[in-house]
Amino acid sequence: MRWISSRQRIQRPSQSCAVTVSRWIVLLTLIVLNGSISIGSAESLPGATATTPKPRVTLRFVSWKPDHARVWEEVLGDFTRAHPQISVVRELAPHSSTAYHDLLTQKLKNRDATVDVFFIDVIWVPEFAEAGWARPLDDKFPPSMRQDFLPAAVEVGRYDTHYYGVPSRIDAGLLYYRQDLLEKYGFAAPTTWPELIQQAETILAGERASNPLLQGYSAQFKQYEGLVCNMLEFVEGHGGSLLRPDGTGSTLSSPRALAAVQFVRDRVIGRLTSRAALTYQEPEALSLFLQGHAIFHRNWPYAWELANNRTQSTIAGQVGVAPLPGFSPGRTAAALGGWLYGISAYSQHPDEAWALIEFLSSQAVQKKFSREAGIAPSREALFSDPEVLARSPQLRNQRSVLHAATPRPRSPVYPAISHLLQRYFSRALAVEDIDLAQEAAVTDTHIDRLLALTKAAP
Amino acid sequence: MMRAHAVLRRREGLAAWLMVAPALLVTVVFALYPVADSLWLSLHHIFVGIPQLGSPFVGLENYQALLHDPVAHQAFVVTLGFVVLSTLLELACGLIIALVIHERFRGRGLVRGAILIPWAIPTVVASQLWRYIFNDQYGFANLLLFGDRVTDYIPWLAYPSVALAVVVLADVWKTSSFAGLMILAGLQVIPGDLYDAARVDGATVWQRFWHITLPLLKPALLLALLFRTMDAFRVFDLVFVMTQGGPGDATQVLQFYGYQTLFTEGRIGYGSAISVAVFLMILALSLTYLRAIGSNLLERRGS
Repeated sequence: MRWISSRQRIQRPSQSCAVTVSRWIVLLTLIVLNGSISIGSAESLPGATATTPKPRVTLRFVSWKPDHARVWEEVLGDFTRAHPQISVVRELAPHSSTAYHDLLTQKLKNRDATVDVFFIDVIWVPEFAEAGWARPLDDKFPPSMRQDFLPAAVEVGRYDTHYYGVPSRIDAGLLYYRQDLLEKYGFAAPTTWPELIQQAETILAGERASNPLLQGYSAQFKQYEGLVCNMLEFVEGHGGSLLRPDGTGSTLSSPRALAAVQFVRDRVIGRLTSRAALTYQEPEALSLFLQGHAIFHRNWPYAWELANNRTQSTIAGQVGVAPLPGFSPGRTAAALGGWLYGISAYSQHPDEAWALIEFLSSQAVQKKFSREAGIAPSREALFSDPEVLARSPQLRNQRSVLHAATPRPRSPVYPAISHLLQRYFSRALAVEDIDLAQEAAVTDTHIDRLLALTKAAP
Repeated sequence: MMRAHAVLRRREGLAAWLMVAPALLVTVVFALYPVADSLWLSLHHIFVGIPQLGSPFVGLENYQALLHDPVAHQAFVVTLGFVVLSTLLELACGLIIALVIHERFRGRGLVRGAILIPWAIPTVVASQLWRYIFNDQYGFANLLLFGDRVTDYIPWLAYPSVALAVVVLADVWKTSSFAGLMILAGLQVIPGDLYDAARVDGATVWQRFWHITLPLLKPALLLALLFRTMDAFRVFDLVFVMTQGGPGDATQVLQFYGYQTLFTEGRIGYGSAISVAVFLMILALSLTYLRAIGSNLLERRGS
């Protein structure tokens, strides 16, 4: 959900046409690169060189550009050393979840056999399953292995009766706060939103003079996928929900959901946080917090590492983390996020692909990621591993949040549902005169229509 | 004799076909086929996430849905607003640019070159640039207006109407010079004698501009208008980079909506219908303009 680095134009408006064109491009590239191709890929083509004794398999791993490139290089280096017959070629996609989705699904729509392993955002599992893009991993990932991972992380990789993903990193929304400021005014981490607002007002009144830029809260309210996560937390925390429990209908116009949105509109945007939050994704909101301009901050687990990194943060060592507040004590909701490893249904090397996934999700590698890159593990055992906890004590608190995190609507048409939700929430927060109940009712109708579409299928 | 002539003509015809064949092939493969295919897809109901639905033929259903889609309405209004505002401003700025660089002065070559720089910058880079300029924390626009009074800084892109204005501004900055270049070409074909004669008759600068420059520039202006309108209708990158359609769909334009529907949502049929609708609108606009330009040229030839 980061900044999007590549531009994708609507050039080929159709699926079959894109197939034709990509074939053309491949053909042209082959002709152009004629000379260099035998040199360039000698190490990865089976039997291309006489010096390689065993036939080699090249795995193509579509990944986003990682934050901690060095750790990834080392881990993949370790894998190829352990499996000399396999080489791994990484294809880097944009970091933004939506941009990554568009690039990857474009390849999968074209049944591109040069994709073997990819990341699946937890929200894509039903779509990838229904479209037949991800290979079911039931036999490779049996219950005996699944039980080692956080149940919520395993469940989110299931669709119908099949499992499509192995948890890589699992995320949930967390409340970060300025430990030093809260202590100075004698506060403990807030458990409800009214309490948070009241704390923020007291602290702001005292600190305004020395830090005029200080805000109560920073979070992600731009019209994009992250907005759905932020608003889901408010709605669920208020006892509402986005969909009915059985997933058959949208419930945005229920009184509790409406009241939660009204609360954000009236008390958060332009009050607790600057109106600028309507343009913030994770990096902008985090940067505000790292500069010491926000008392409270909502983000995923990765922010802990950055907030305490002395080269990037002015508030290192003064950060606390807690579950997000609710509207009554004890009621809290965190959006479930994160990534799973999956194998393409069109992969020619599913066994080698599985070897890579098994390696990447192993206890040792997750420990390395956790210790060197600050990535929260998805294996249950690591949350009580003394070495991991010594480095990341916050994991002790996060475990319960990760266990109870709320998934976004699980549907094969989630991308379309998400766009409707993004529109509704963004309009609810940004547009001056708005009939909230009316907008919610219209959005409910549209989402219901989408949901009916998937049910109509046999 | 006659037969030999006919054979020769047939051979010539064959040669002519052979010579245009490559161009024709490229046009068919890269222009006609995709358009026809989109048209065909837009008559189907295809949802990538629900393959069980198959791809039933639904006739004009997607187009009917488009007519009743509130997001499409919003995107249409925003696109239209963007097109009108940006093309008018670009023509006005372009005219000024053209008049300035048409004059003879020291360093004219340098100015002519410099004016093209925004046009040469890729739109994605320019969009990113403008996004930074209007950033709420470290944007240059805020620095310029408020200096050190950081508490007064405005989050420009957080206000629906301001966000659209910023997107228009970025487009005007980027493409005015292109309009200017086209208008400059028009300026250069106006004979100097006309101005000399007008001067002898005692016409003021303003009269010369109003009665000579502007009427004779009409074809160039129309052409610039045609190019700019077509381009503005297809606006995508600016929105994609600067706002992603937000806040509250205030900068949601048709092409971005089509992209979201096709690529992110996987609604191939409906997304194609949006693309085709944009295509038809641009086609209708171009035909109208071309007619205007054509009659304009005929008028001139007649007189």
